[in-house]
Amino acid sequence: MKDCALAAYSWVCERTGLDQVWTALMERHIPEAKGWVGLLYTLGSATMMIFTVQAVTGFLLATNYVPSPDHAYDSVRYIDAAVLFGRVVRGLHHWGASFMVVFAVLHMLRVYFMGSYKYPREATWLAGVGLLLLVLGFSFTGYLLPWDQKAYWATVVGTTIAGQTPVVGAWIANILRGTDGMGAPTLSRFYALHVLALPALTAGLIGVHLFLVVWHGISEPPKRSPGKVP
Amino acid sequence: MNPWHEDYKRRYAQLKENGKSFFPHTVFKDVCVALLVLTVLFALAYYRPAELEPLADPTDTHYNPRPEWYFLFLFQALKFFPGNLEAVAAILLPGLGVLLLMGVPFLDRGPKRHPFDRPLWTGLGLAGIAGFAALTWAGVRSPLTNPTEEADPQVAAGRRLYDQMSCAYCHKIGGKGGAVGPALDKVAGDETEEWLTRHFKDPQSVTPGSAMPKMNLLDDEVKILVAYMKSMHAEEPFTKAAPKIFADNCAACHKLGKEGGEAGPDLSFIGTARDKAFIKKYVEDPSTSKPDSAMPAFKGQLTDVQIEDVARYLSSQGR
Repeated sequence: MKDCALAAYSWVCERTGLDQVWTALMERHIPEAKGWVGLLYTLGSATMMIFTVQAVTGFLLATNYVPSPDHAYDSVRYIDAAVLFGRVVRGLHHWGASFMVVFAVLHMLRVYFMGSYKYPREATWLAGVGLLLLVLGFSFTGYLLPWDQKAYWATVVGTTIAGQTPVVGAWIANILRGTDGMGAPTLSRFYALHVLALPALTAGLIGVHLFLVVWHGISEPPKRSPGKVP
Repeated sequence: MNPWHEDYKRRYAQLKENGKSFFPHTVFKDVCVALLVLTVLFALAYYRPAELEPLADPTDTHYNPRPEWYFLFLFQALKFFPGNLEAVAAILLPGLGVLLLMGVPFLDRGPKRHPFDRPLWTGLGLAGIAGFAALTWAGVRSPLTNPTEEADPQVAAGRRLYDQMSCAYCHKIGGKGGAVGPALDKVAGDETEEWLTRHFKDPQSVTPGSAMPKMNLLDDEVKILVAYMKSMHAEEPFTKAAPKIFADNCAACHKLGKEGGEAGPDLSFIGTARDKAFIKKYVEDPSTSKPDSAMPAFKGQLTDVQIEDVARYLSSQGR
């Protein structure tokens, strides 16, 4: 029995390199960060965990949501009132959106104040800024989906502001809204962005971000430069 | 190649060598924090579920939209830019902000990493946080004028059916619609539910000679239309004393038509934006609706009957 399991394990390892991947990812060493400074280093993984919550609850919501002005509002009401745990799932997705912003920003502040973006981790920082922008993109496109008063009018304001960009403004507003004023094309575009384009881009960029973190190693907690301390 | 780069790499390799394995040490801390965050998230989702406002109404131009709280600082910052400048600022400020954020590792390139060794960048970061907090606080304090409670679903459904059946072709609500039938916001609220139900099933049965056609509505449809009609209250009449109360107490600061002062807002069209209940509450004590209002509270100055009267008077202005 034991031999059999061992044989299966070595079969898998030979074909996938699982053991080496495990060593490279899980047994890599991390510079020591003690006490509350060590806790600050968990903010990035917390952000990723919330992203997972958003992906799962987002999938569950999408199974009952209808992205059309005629049915969007009613389908959200239906989720709240009739779907098993629907209200909690929508609550999780709603609060998760705020949590994403909060934790992404806290993580960024940790990196900023510790100067962790310095050589050789400049590209990691750029990927992080890209991820923050994607989070804001999620929040902007997701806000419209319930098709209630707040959703509708906040998006009117948002797309109007985008339309005021010099030179390309009218073009951008047109692409976002898809029609004069706002209507069915706006809602389907925002929905497509929210559930297809943005998740794909985010997953890709998270991949880049994490690869760079592993490649360079996580930055060590900063020490005061020796000249200044008496 | 900067000379300190090689040096840093050598030092980092040493620190890494001396550090602990990612699994289980780091993973353990990450999982603990993740579980804590998840607990808070579940508690919020369970005890404070996401709100839903009434269905989007593209014709409701009085709606006062507010962004999600983390965009509130931007919303508030734009108030510093008048007129045409606001459009530029709305794009330029966030654009520059993002550019600066991306540029951070290319502007701050020395070997020093400790926040106390980089006073300029640490100060800039703290100033950014303080600015965000101050603007967000100012945004939160500025008055919220939209009701967050959900409208009765029956009423909302009735309103939609009213739109779908083009009832406004003959009837007015809020001054909009045709003049063939009566203005429903003036009369329908006074009728009993029983009367309205019979009316919707067969108009001639309660109003002989009515020009309204029989609609062959389903029972559910009749029910929601009745709910919608009952939600509208006939306008409450003000007394002859109301204009005088206004002239004696309010006109020093507020214009109504061509008469009145200019210290406060012109109230000529206030009835199109605010209902009686809001105005009454505002007159009693402005600070509950708008904390930085310069207007005095009139509760105690005027009797409750007088405030009710003047609120009815104002809510009819401009309608």
